[in-house]
Amino acid sequence: MLKSTLYHWLKSFRRQAKPNLQGGVTIKARSIYILPTKQGLLLAMVIILMLVGSINYGSNLGHLVTFLLAGIWLINILHTWRNLLGLKLQPLRVASVFACESADFTLTLINPSTLDRFGLSLKHKKRAGDCVDISGNEQLTVHLPLPTHRRGEFLLPEVTLHTTYPLGLFHAWSYAQLDLICLVYPKPAEQGEPPFDTSYTSSDMGDRGVGTDDFIGLRNFRSGDSPKHINWKAYAKQQGLLSKQFGGDRHVEVRLDWDLIVEQEPERRLSLLCRYVIQQEELGHAYSLHIPGTSIPSGLGSAHMQRCLTALARYGDVHESS
Amino acid sequence: MKAANHSLSPRMHAILSLLAGLTILPHSTYLPLPINLYLLFLFFWRFASLRFSQVKTNWWMLISATLGASILVYNQLHSLIGRDAGVALLSVMLMLKVLEVRRQRDLYVTVFISYFVVITHFLFNQSIGLALYLITLVVCLTTLLMEINRVTPTQKLFEPLLKTLIITLQAVPIAIILFILFPRISHPLWNLGNSASATTGMSDRVSPGSISRLAESSEVAFRAIFDRLPPKPQARYWRGLVIWDTDGFSWYNQPKKRSFSPITNTMSETAEFTYEIFLEAHYKSWLYSLDRPLSSPAAATLTSDFQILTEKPVEQPLQYRLASSISKQNRVLLPSMRQRALALADNVTQRQYDLVNEWRAKSNSDREFIDKVLNHYNQQPYVYTLSPPLYQDNPIDQFLFEGKEGFCEHYATSFTQLMRIAGIPARLILGYQGGEYNNLGDYFIIRQYDAHAWSEVWLDKLGWVRIDPTSAVAPERIRHQLRHDFGEQGSPVMFQTDATGILSSTMRQVSHLLDSANVHWRRWVIGYSQEHQFSLMRKFGFNALTHLQWGLLSAGLIAIPLILIGLRLRNSGKQPQSPIISAYHRYCRRLSHVGIARQSNEGPLDYAKRASKLRPDLIVPITRITSLYIQLRYGPNPDKHKLQMMIRNIRQFHPGRR
Repeated sequence: MLKSTLYHWLKSFRRQAKPNLQGGVTIKARSIYILPTKQGLLLAMVIILMLVGSINYGSNLGHLVTFLLAGIWLINILHTWRNLLGLKLQPLRVASVFACESADFTLTLINPSTLDRFGLSLKHKKRAGDCVDISGNEQLTVHLPLPTHRRGEFLLPEVTLHTTYPLGLFHAWSYAQLDLICLVYPKPAEQGEPPFDTSYTSSDMGDRGVGTDDFIGLRNFRSGDSPKHINWKAYAKQQGLLSKQFGGDRHVEVRLDWDLIVEQEPERRLSLLCRYVIQQEELGHAYSLHIPGTSIPSGLGSAHMQRCLTALARYGDVHESS
Repeated sequence: MKAANHSLSPRMHAILSLLAGLTILPHSTYLPLPINLYLLFLFFWRFASLRFSQVKTNWWMLISATLGASILVYNQLHSLIGRDAGVALLSVMLMLKVLEVRRQRDLYVTVFISYFVVITHFLFNQSIGLALYLITLVVCLTTLLMEINRVTPTQKLFEPLLKTLIITLQAVPIAIILFILFPRISHPLWNLGNSASATTGMSDRVSPGSISRLAESSEVAFRAIFDRLPPKPQARYWRGLVIWDTDGFSWYNQPKKRSFSPITNTMSETAEFTYEIFLEAHYKSWLYSLDRPLSSPAAATLTSDFQILTEKPVEQPLQYRLASSISKQNRVLLPSMRQRALALADNVTQRQYDLVNEWRAKSNSDREFIDKVLNHYNQQPYVYTLSPPLYQDNPIDQFLFEGKEGFCEHYATSFTQLMRIAGIPARLILGYQGGEYNNLGDYFIIRQYDAHAWSEVWLDKLGWVRIDPTSAVAPERIRHQLRHDFGEQGSPVMFQTDATGILSSTMRQVSHLLDSANVHWRRWVIGYSQEHQFSLMRKFGFNALTHLQWGLLSAGLIAIPLILIGLRLRNSGKQPQSPIISAYHRYCRRLSHVGIARQSNEGPLDYAKRASKLRPDLIVPITRITSLYIQLRYGPNPDKHKLQMMIRNIRQFHPGRR
């Protein structure tokens, strides 16, 4: 209890750059943290040693150079701070991924001032993203790949924009919360075949798939064609060797149904359904998806697949089910 | 840190190695030859390993190189600690560190060690030139740090170099404040330190050739700045050592005999000249003063024969104030002094006695006798020369009767001996005579070739009187400087007269300018001490600050440049805004103060409409300003008159709260 109170009290001091209406953030003077790096502390120690040496030998020039370095050490703080000040981060895009894949959050880094900025790295905790230099009045696209763990909406966590420029003696950083959501599909199960019968139903239109029922037309003989299909009449008329072509009149449609899956655990079911969706898409079989709250009619193609995967990702989401 | 593990580019490797080499370079004058060769070998090894992939550096090579370096240093300097050995070790270690640099982390360490090596140079040499060289190196080394903290390397290092220079210049005020305020230990005037490296300088033993040897050196002995008018050229005798004893060959003070007791009662005398002396380290334990000093600086003693003696040899440049009186003689003749001032060596020959007796018979007083002796030097064919023949058996006798060629030490020693034979107490004074006036800095430079020896004799009514027998032979010596072209043996000394040609006078002015800069450097940078610090603080009205107050004052003063630079950095890089927009923003700010803030999606007209609805009393200025703004901003060609009108309107726009 006490620990959590203390934690919240400490957290109230933490400053974070808040998003504006467009979901972007501007790094303000007071949201920048600065602390010495290991190298900065090492130099501080070296400066103290140099001072001790200068005092010991009563060397005024030694004092002077030592103090000059101390001055550089101090002034460097301001330049590190300035290197972050006023930069803007805006959310750009992120592609949907399957759980356990890496989500590539893409942001726009904007330098609205005329000063060039250097050595800026984007990160989240220990996960490092891009490291860039940005000249004055420029914008750059920066990436922060983050691992995903579970399906659903994945809001870009608090990111850190970090720099040690100019001298690497101090690091300055700023926390930013950006409004960018990655939709994470369930992780496809490894198991292959769907447990359901594929239902073959006649299509109203017929289709152009390869079958054995309907004659579609003729084409030139290719070696390997069955002799039964050779149009001997045409051959007799000296029109060359032609094969008869037959089209399939049956339409394969797979029904992917929540209730038909033997496994009971919902996430496992979603995971299996996800695998089947991908499989059917690869096989080129039309499929429909039926899960509690959502029913997607039969279809094929990437738009259809995305619709199905989104439905799976959002399963149980309050907004979707209502 | 991720960046610290990045490896370095070949270019950075090469520049780092070169800069480390340049950092060590000035030490090569002090380091023994084998260590220099070792450093050179490591340096070339480094470049070979950068250039050819076959040349590799393994860990066992590094370890053996380190061991080898330690053994070499111990073998050469017989120690691994202390100043010289420490510097040698540090130099070798820096070069070895350069050999094993791989990652950025190593670059930081190497640069920091180089910073440390930079200040060790000041233990040996504190000239402006060296300081400039080293500060340039510090800037270059720092540039490397800047270069590795960016992602894309620069094409030319000029850009980061310029930025580092800016940071360094911004650090200068902080460095100066710290330099002035950081408490100095009132370190003993003469510093600890163990190396007594012999330099050309005055020796405490006068033998034939001991002073003429110095005439070849134009090294500066000391500089003197007079508070008011300086003494006339013929009065510029700079007293150093008083010599009493002789063994017939050379003159020295017998170590068994104590130096005379200190005196303090001269303080009542009026000072004719007050001046400051900037003494170079001469590794001897006496100080120079204008003849005759009235007091000694702190931590030194003024003895009753008017020498200023120090406890330890002067191994650092030293700065002190003195007061002197030149017209009055001193009248201190202790019995022990009289005894020493009449003592003779056992190789005084009969012809010396004969000569003295002959003059004694012809003169009625000591004064007349002295004139006779000086006349003798003047009338007889004595030559003032830097390269007299070598007098080996009995120097004074051979000089007086055979060679008759000599430098000031010959004249002074023979004169002193003749006086003693005649029963007149006499002693030998060693010091400098003359000095070059620097008109740019208004001070005198006294160089080694101004070294001189003269005598003091006791006359009953007058006290100790200075007699310079050299002036009898070569009066020009006292008025002009020596000319430094050394002829063959026995050739007479030439003297420099005034300005000879435009070129040489220009050269002289340039060298005066440089020397003058050097003096200010000595006075304000190298010689800055606790006394300076206190007197400076008193000038600004800070008397007797406590430690806490001192610390607060320093912190406050350092904060000023930091805040100013911070503000400047904060405002730099802003887009130049058109006056139209900035004026309109001012108007928006004023409205937002009374609670009508402009929404981000609100156009100027909508905003005006809303503001007018909320504050009907402001309808007139709001409408006018908005219409002017729209005309200026979106109209075909904005004219200046309208802009001024808008700015004026906004300036007068003061919506009060209701």
